[in-house]
Amino acid sequence: MERIVQGMGITEVLKIMRQADGYYITNTARDMSQSDYKNRILLHTDLLAAPSREEAGYFSLEITGGASVHVDILRKQVDPFLKLELLREKMPKTMFQTLCRGINLFGYRPYPQNVIRFVVKEFAKYVDVWRVFDFMNHVPNMQAVFEEVQAAGKILEPCICFSTGPEHTNEFYVKKVQEILDVTGNEIVLCIKNHGGLGSPKRAGDLVDAILQKYPEMIIHYHGHNTDGNDIGRIVAAAMAGAKIVDASDHAFTGFYGPPPILSVIHTLKEYGRNAVGINEAAIMETSEVLQPERKYYEYFESQIKGFDPTVQIHKLPGGAMGSSLEQAAKGGFLDKMPEILHKELPKVQIELGNYWSVTPGSQILWTTAVSNVQGGDRYGNCSGDLKNLLLGKYGPFPFYQPPDWIYEKAFGPEWKKVLEEQGGMEAIEDIDIDKERKVLADKLGYAPTEQQLVTYLQHPNDAVNFFRFEEKFGRVYVLPPSILFRRGGFKLGESITFKDHSGKEHIIEMGPMQESEDGSETNVYLNIDHHQRNFVFENAVAQAGEAKAAKLSKKEIEDLAKAGDVRTPFTANVCEISVKEGQEVKAGEKLVVLEAMKMQTPVNSEVDGVVAKIVAKVGDAVQPGDELVKVTPSA
Amino acid sequence: MKKKILIANRGEIALRIIRAVQELGHIAVAIYETPDKDALHIRTADEAVWIGDGPRCDYLDIDKVIGVAKKAGVDAIHPGYGFLAENPDFAKACEHNGIIFIGPPSDVIQSLGDKVTARRIMKEAGIPMVPGTDNLSAGDHGLREAIDFADKYGYPVMLKATAGGGGRGIRRVENEKQMRAELPMARAEAKSAFNNDSVYLEKVVINPKHVEVQIIADKEGNTVHLGSRDCSIQRRNQKLVEIAPSLIQDKALVDKICETAVTAAKASHYVNAGTVEFLVDRDWNYYFMEINTRVQVEHTVTEMVTGIDIVRTQIKLALGKKLSFTQDDIHIRGYAVEMRINAEDPQNNFMPEGGKTVSVYRSPGGYGVRLDGFVYQGFTIPKVYDSLLVKMTVFGFSWNETVDRLLRCLNNFVITGPKTTIPYYVNLVQDPDFKRGDFDTSFIETHSHLINYEEQASEGNKLAHLIAEIHYKGENPYAV
Repeated sequence: MERIVQGMGITEVLKIMRQADGYYITNTARDMSQSDYKNRILLHTDLLAAPSREEAGYFSLEITGGASVHVDILRKQVDPFLKLELLREKMPKTMFQTLCRGINLFGYRPYPQNVIRFVVKEFAKYVDVWRVFDFMNHVPNMQAVFEEVQAAGKILEPCICFSTGPEHTNEFYVKKVQEILDVTGNEIVLCIKNHGGLGSPKRAGDLVDAILQKYPEMIIHYHGHNTDGNDIGRIVAAAMAGAKIVDASDHAFTGFYGPPPILSVIHTLKEYGRNAVGINEAAIMETSEVLQPERKYYEYFESQIKGFDPTVQIHKLPGGAMGSSLEQAAKGGFLDKMPEILHKELPKVQIELGNYWSVTPGSQILWTTAVSNVQGGDRYGNCSGDLKNLLLGKYGPFPFYQPPDWIYEKAFGPEWKKVLEEQGGMEAIEDIDIDKERKVLADKLGYAPTEQQLVTYLQHPNDAVNFFRFEEKFGRVYVLPPSILFRRGGFKLGESITFKDHSGKEHIIEMGPMQESEDGSETNVYLNIDHHQRNFVFENAVAQAGEAKAAKLSKKEIEDLAKAGDVRTPFTANVCEISVKEGQEVKAGEKLVVLEAMKMQTPVNSEVDGVVAKIVAKVGDAVQPGDELVKVTPSA
Repeated sequence: MKKKILIANRGEIALRIIRAVQELGHIAVAIYETPDKDALHIRTADEAVWIGDGPRCDYLDIDKVIGVAKKAGVDAIHPGYGFLAENPDFAKACEHNGIIFIGPPSDVIQSLGDKVTARRIMKEAGIPMVPGTDNLSAGDHGLREAIDFADKYGYPVMLKATAGGGGRGIRRVENEKQMRAELPMARAEAKSAFNNDSVYLEKVVINPKHVEVQIIADKEGNTVHLGSRDCSIQRRNQKLVEIAPSLIQDKALVDKICETAVTAAKASHYVNAGTVEFLVDRDWNYYFMEINTRVQVEHTVTEMVTGIDIVRTQIKLALGKKLSFTQDDIHIRGYAVEMRINAEDPQNNFMPEGGKTVSVYRSPGGYGVRLDGFVYQGFTIPKVYDSLLVKMTVFGFSWNETVDRLLRCLNNFVITGPKTTIPYYVNLVQDPDFKRGDFDTSFIETHSHLINYEEQASEGNKLAHLIAEIHYKGENPYAV
């Protein structure tokens, strides 16, 4: 029984797998973190698990990609490359796997070709297995990534995204496989990406069987989610039908929307006479023993709603989006409307929008549209910029049918046909000048960035700069365990915290008193750092008199103000682009500002012809409904 | 007999004097303006009297200080340095009111305070002087005198206000054209700053060493010197680092300078402690500059190498005692360096950091370390006074030992809240020229790289900062 190890090429891997008596396992730790812990599982925890995961003998460990690259810098403050370097030190044999969204890379919107190639080249230095998908199953969207992965000599794993419904036939998917093979050649692992955990075990087995009928040599990697609690059933069926690799993860951390427990998969398939190749069960058990005590520190990031959700078969939200969607509902105060959104509106929207695959970024479009349809009352009355782009075909052609005309009319007005004709279809995104971006970043940071920093910056410009500045200020924080980094309610007086910093130097920090200044404007936090007393001063937040100006405006008032050129924020969002300059002439309908909420971008357009008098908002501002954005002086 | 002694000063020097008064078994009376209400000197003194809201006006108010002194029934007043210390009117007022002024008689302060008079006295005593003029005549006649002088001795020359001092009222003139422009301005400035428009000229000694001699004399004319100090390390004529004794290799020259200082003191009928300042040029010529008629900030270094308590001696002499030692009793041992730790940001042009609270104050200790400071943890530095926080004086048997100790002490000194000159000094004491003892008054200017230290926190401190923030906010604001 041969274990597959890092450094093996695709030809060798395929040969070993074809000869193997049994199946292989990918530990999808990244997907578990994303689906059940809002992507918060820290490098610190993964490093604890690294030695036993290394011994476990997986085909691969999925540890990067998806939304994790973004969350790494945004919420965990760890460099996504440093993470891979440190894990590699402890796991020399295990292949590292990523999940890449094709043209959308690890983000939510298409990137220029030269950025895609640059990013993949840098990540390919650390990542051995590249699972690549496109939410429209539009193969050209994945081509640049395919080429770079193959050029780097890494294992390419293109996906067919899977869903259910009358259009989602074996015939369709088998044809899709051919489309992929036409581009990649035969030296690939093929992934069936069942991100929602949809369909029955029988359906999963049938699909694997249908593909193998046509391509008997194909190595199929079945990926699922346990949202309905039945993923082991699908895994078993897929493996019995001939899938050679299946996904699961460590039971100490398994939840409801991510992967099922590895050991359950192994034990079940053993009864069916299938063996997990190269697997060391004791090491898998040990991993969970190491991880178990850490789980409590992540409780805050677990789903707002606990329990399996068999209704996923109706709403089809992918496991990776369940946690964040429920969180938005909880924070937005519409948790009570979830049955209506999930069981009525979302299925309806899916059918209306072409029954494509509900996965990033397509799932976010479906979700925000459904929420907006229910919350706003007027269905499709407030189309997001991303929905408009979808309708215009900017993400790729609709796989089965185009949405009905009335939706286009709602989105683009009575002249929608003209809009579609003029603006419709995919457009090549122009390459950007990467050297120029490097200089821009150098200016922002005040030092020359590394290539890796540039890669991170090109994907998430604002968040990357914030992260680099964070690191300058707070150091390499991955060394802190979740019990510290995610502590809620502060520390105890006299509590001491010990850790080794990035260079391996040990530190001890003892919590001292917290003291407010005489006038109450500041608070001093006293610490003993390595036995040296130090204090940090924090300015106390004061209730600002200015807060009155953000007094809540009704939707009607915001619209009326916009018609007078006083452009206000219509919903809670972040400002991601200011599209005009002060003094610039604008026409009604011209884009002024782009807002981002729930990862979706929405332009705010001028309601009037006029001149931009004042720009109030800045890129990166978090804005509330009614906040001033731009003032336009209407022309007489 | 117990005497009551009022200290007409604030800050570290007030504390220094209070300590001496208390050691001698007398009663120390402090005075304070409102911004000093939390100052250590009023907590340490035996009595403290509030003299007004200030700032910097009540400490300078002769009538008020004398009034307080009389009401409190004090026998003597020690003026410290600055404020009223070198004001002959104050010394005179003390004399008129039957209060002992701890310092020279008012007429000595008067004549030495007038630079031209001082120069005349020294010239008569045969003390080497930087070539210079008497007070220039008024109007065009004065300009003619100035130009003639400069032509004879060569430019550059210094245009000095007769009543100036402490680095104020000085202009450097490079050529005749500049002289014509600067002279009327210098007069106007002197008039407004010192209410006296007299000015005179001196030849410029380029990049000299600043060497000074501590002298001390009793009323019977016994005058001794306590050796030399080098105060060349100055920033814009403000001393930062002072060393005793001078590091000039030629001991005979140093001895000669010290003897000259005694001659100068005697020529001016000096009584009590004072300092005779000299410039030493590159050819080892030395020139008299001035006599400071007060206790100097840097007197500590002399105390460290001689063992003589200068302030106690000042008090004893003022109370009528004779000098208890002769020149032969004075021996210089080892080296002492004083560094003025100021609440200033060296990287921001030494801007004062007043108004900030000292949140952590951890001072070095151990052998050879002396601290004369007045701040404590929790103390808010008043914005309205000078930025000196603490004088760190370090003693060592050899120069190298002293330098090593300086670095150790600076590294052990933790002051957070205001920025301080400590990190700058850390660079300074490691500078090869400093370690060699090779410096003159251009040192700070020619070693501008000393400003390049990183205020970068260590990795442990950075992480602690985040932990502090998590603690303060009750959650990690970057991870929610």
